[in-house]
Amino acid sequence: MSAEVKSSSERNIRARFSPAGILGKPFRGLILVSRKYGAEWWIMIAGALIVSFMIIVAVFPAVFAPYGPLDQEAGGQLMPPQPGYPFGTDNLHRDVLSRVIFGARTILGVAFAAAILSSAIGIPLGLLSGFVGGILDRILSLIMDSVYSFPGLILAIAFAAMLGPGVVNITLAVAVIYIPTYFRMVRGQTLSIREEVYVEAARAIGARRWVILLQYIFPNVIASVVVIFSINIADAILTEAALSYIGLGLPAGIPDWGMDLSMGKKFLPSGTWWMITFPGAAISLLALGFTMLGEGLAEILNPRLLER
Amino acid sequence: MKKFVCVLVLLAAASALVFAGGTAAAPAKTLVYATTEHLTDLDPSNAYDFHTWELFQNIGNGLLKYEPGKTEIIPGLAESYTANSDASEYTFKLRKGLKYSDGTPFNAEVVKWSVDRVMALEGDPSWLVTSYVDSVEVVDEYTVKFKLVGPVGFFPSVVATVPYFPMNPKLYPEDRWINDPSELIGGKYAGLGPYNLVSFKRDEEVILEANPDYYGAKPKVDRIVIRYFADATTMRLALEKGEVDLVYKTLNPSDIVDLSKNANYKTFKMSGPYIRYLCFEVSEGQFSDKRLRQAVGALINRQEIIDKVFLGQNQPLYSMVPNGMIYHTDDFKTKLGDGNVQLANKLLAEAGYTAAKPLVFDLWYPPQHYGDTEKDMVEVMQAQLQKSPAVKVNLKSAEWATYTDNFDTKQMKVFTLGWYPDYIDPDNYTAAFASSQGSPGMGIYFSDPEWDALFTKEQTSADPNVRKQVFEDLQMRWTDQCPTVPIFQGNLYVFTKKNVSGVNIGPTLIFNYEVLEIE
Amino acid sequence: MKNLLRYIITRTLLTIPMILILVSLVFVVLRIMPGDPVKAMLGAHAPPEVIAQKREELGLNKPIIIQYFEYLGQLVRLDLGRSMILQQDVTQPIKEKLPATLELTLVGLLFTLLIGVPLGAYAASKRRSGRDFGIRLYGNVVYCIPVFWMGLMLQLIFGVWLNWLPIAGRTSARTFVSMFERTGFYLIDTLLIGDFGAFTDVLLHLVLPSLTLGIVISGVFVRLTRSNMLDVLKTDYVLAARARGIPERKVVYRHALKNALIPVLTMMGLQFALLLAGAILTESTFSWPGMGRLLVQRIYLRDYPTIQGVIVVYAFMVSIISLVVDLIYALIDPRVKY
Repeated sequence: MSAEVKSSSERNIRARFSPAGILGKPFRGLILVSRKYGAEWWIMIAGALIVSFMIIVAVFPAVFAPYGPLDQEAGGQLMPPQPGYPFGTDNLHRDVLSRVIFGARTILGVAFAAAILSSAIGIPLGLLSGFVGGILDRILSLIMDSVYSFPGLILAIAFAAMLGPGVVNITLAVAVIYIPTYFRMVRGQTLSIREEVYVEAARAIGARRWVILLQYIFPNVIASVVVIFSINIADAILTEAALSYIGLGLPAGIPDWGMDLSMGKKFLPSGTWWMITFPGAAISLLALGFTMLGEGLAEILNPRLLER
Repeated sequence: MKKFVCVLVLLAAASALVFAGGTAAAPAKTLVYATTEHLTDLDPSNAYDFHTWELFQNIGNGLLKYEPGKTEIIPGLAESYTANSDASEYTFKLRKGLKYSDGTPFNAEVVKWSVDRVMALEGDPSWLVTSYVDSVEVVDEYTVKFKLVGPVGFFPSVVATVPYFPMNPKLYPEDRWINDPSELIGGKYAGLGPYNLVSFKRDEEVILEANPDYYGAKPKVDRIVIRYFADATTMRLALEKGEVDLVYKTLNPSDIVDLSKNANYKTFKMSGPYIRYLCFEVSEGQFSDKRLRQAVGALINRQEIIDKVFLGQNQPLYSMVPNGMIYHTDDFKTKLGDGNVQLANKLLAEAGYTAAKPLVFDLWYPPQHYGDTEKDMVEVMQAQLQKSPAVKVNLKSAEWATYTDNFDTKQMKVFTLGWYPDYIDPDNYTAAFASSQGSPGMGIYFSDPEWDALFTKEQTSADPNVRKQVFEDLQMRWTDQCPTVPIFQGNLYVFTKKNVSGVNIGPTLIFNYEVLEIE
Repeated sequence: MKNLLRYIITRTLLTIPMILILVSLVFVVLRIMPGDPVKAMLGAHAPPEVIAQKREELGLNKPIIIQYFEYLGQLVRLDLGRSMILQQDVTQPIKEKLPATLELTLVGLLFTLLIGVPLGAYAASKRRSGRDFGIRLYGNVVYCIPVFWMGLMLQLIFGVWLNWLPIAGRTSARTFVSMFERTGFYLIDTLLIGDFGAFTDVLLHLVLPSLTLGIVISGVFVRLTRSNMLDVLKTDYVLAARARGIPERKVVYRHALKNALIPVLTMMGLQFALLLAGAILTESTFSWPGMGRLLVQRIYLRDYPTIQGVIVVYAFMVSIISLVVDLIYALIDPRVKY
């Protein structure tokens, strides 16, 4: 790039929409919010707390878990919750609490990886499609809309069945179904931002197209993407659990909440309630945390953002 | 709003009235039999599973049959039979005047037609006919002669199997086997057994009614409804709620424990013919070294698997020949033991594997084919194997289609498998895995000319002493070469309500409905 | 009027490429599945010539493009092919199981609306109050509960501990289905033959599974109704109604709700997809003999044609429902521009 003479207006525009500027906005927003939007604020905080707690547990499971998740000598067989075994033990003498704790790592790992993969594909496609328009946009939109309108779980089941068991395969299966969500959001935003005056101005001063994309449009999209990302993870958690529950998930030897639920339900009529209650509650709590975080953020950053 | 509430109240009142209506009237003496099994083809020329055979044994009859609960062969549709001097020709005299429930007469032509059809269609069980029978001859209206390929001393027990059942030629298409009774010509089944198939809804419900034209004693239960359940938990609850009267195959271990303890139900426990074992691919790679196979075999702790995974429900198995079968020995117990970490470490060290340089391998399993206890079982096995510091196990699974594919590609070196017998004899539990001919089909690829010679010896001999010696030799060799390691043998359980009696399943594992009674 | 017609035609035509894309996606996905279906069908021990012959018979040797177009041709004739594992047309099990899924999904939808809509309307009318917050929290929480766990919990509480309701199947084992089955919708069938005992039995078996579905999806409708109601409650005619002295409850539930319901009803189209997905898990938990369980079973058996057929039927249902809903929306809502 040759040394350009930058006009003051361009400098202002750049400053306003530079990454620092974008990130600064929410902070100022948060301060305003705490005075004005009581409920949303607390929802977001609660979500953030749950999520952070779960992430810490997932990253340092050995700190919290009294036994290993595969330890078949932790305690007696099918012991109900009691001192020393707050969540009881399962039929292989394993401590349910430890399995729940280690299972957090599994499910968070898959959900995060899937979300990152989805966004990595969906966002660029959405930007491209919205910005370039034309026949590419029409075709991509048609494909994405079709996939979006189809029940995601069924597609995930088909993919998971096709790929077989394994962490990577499940991540792929879960990732595929969220690509349209990112695509649609980003494309929609791109379409509206594209018409804004400052973008026109940038075009007028001769900025190249991908520069416009990266420096003007993309930063504006980030805020909504963060919200979608959080909710995506919540959905991914539920989808991964569902796949494991019907037996299409991870292989044996990896602690997994969905699989524990499907193995535990055989013992339900015997009155063994603890094998399914705690993993299920964990799934709900984790999904709830991410949802609350996402929804709270959404209301704060842009109250009408998530009109499902 | 008020209108809405009024409507709700009316609806509630109406449903309360309806509630008092009561259930539809059912004819006397109905027994509801619950199972998680599946029926396959409703055609003896291709049906080759226990449950479908069970159905045919009750809606059809063979020329000969077993007395319920016993191993004695008694006359069935044939009143008597004679064999020629070298047991290569059997002549059966059929009962006279019998008719299928649609009026078709039963005679020698029908018998010939049925057997010829099974041979021609070449379905799964057809080898049971073609291996022994050369041709069938109609001597006269009620006499039929089987000309065999050679002397077969045990032919009566073979002719009692389902592929030999005389089927109604008016109903079964000549050129193909059928799957559903709706494919029968005319759509309705008509047979010669104590029960008739009246209604069929695959994987949901099959209704049988006592056959008034049956030549034998009239069944005490007029109607049997077989209810198919998708999972064991639902089935157990159905029994506890009184919705079903009898449950057979296959409950969860925890359900078996609970129901056995419950005084409201009768429990029938039998040693089943079903075995589970670990296989090795022995021709290439690490496990061509038999010491490693022995080490793995030594580390397995059978009772621990049974207690943890099956809550104590099955029997440890120390030979490929099941407990209770002729010529069975417990050689694996004496030679390798259970959870024998010491022996395993020694063998591994000899082969060059230590804690510093452990033996690493994949343990394969099919996650659905044998039920979901499989996952638990391999997890327990992994823990047992890793009790030796010189072993490191990774668990790998594949769906059944891929699993059996892998036999050909030799991709699985250590894998679990199960076996239901074709016929009740030690040969069926051994030759299939270790003969040069059968072993590749199981992904094991074991081949030893001495073993093949032994197999041939026992297959062609009728002398029990010779066979005993051969099988004892084979079982001892098995603990040395370990092409497979037996783990456990399944038990069979039948649970019924207190008012049900007559459950009489003997060593043949044939379940005769006609001797059931319900009050 | 001409515009409306154009919209109807355009929208209907749009359904075709959508279905086509989904069907093609399924076709591609299933062809890359590991595991040879022919071997699975004939058994691993079958001699290679027999396997080769079967492949030829099933047309698996033709180039994939040809297979694809043949497949599309079959679909147009509503022929979903034959199962590879069992000797049956794919349409047969689908015909048998589809009413079960539809019955479950529709009653589930009923519960969803019965729970979600009134709660949403109430929350909107009590905006910013504790009750509003509580209801919104319910809406969020309930959607995060995995539907199969909700099912298991309800089974535990109402089936095992309290023993009030049946927890599996469409009927009790003693209610012999072959006696009354006609359409496959047991609620209708039992009434048609006047067997009220069986009707009650069927109804009781429907309660827990549809309640499970209904509760979990109700969260979405709570939010939707609430937000639409908020909009409507701000409008002029509501203000006018209040000014005229109409009691608040009537204003909210009679005037405002009717108008807020329109977008809610159209949302039903999209949520139908959610209900179908949730139904798969519910069917698994409650041993419900529907399409969801059929799909899962056939996946284990590697029965390509049936898997394909089931997904195609799902795609079809979703597209048709959303088409119908969009058209109704266009017809009844004067605000929609077309």
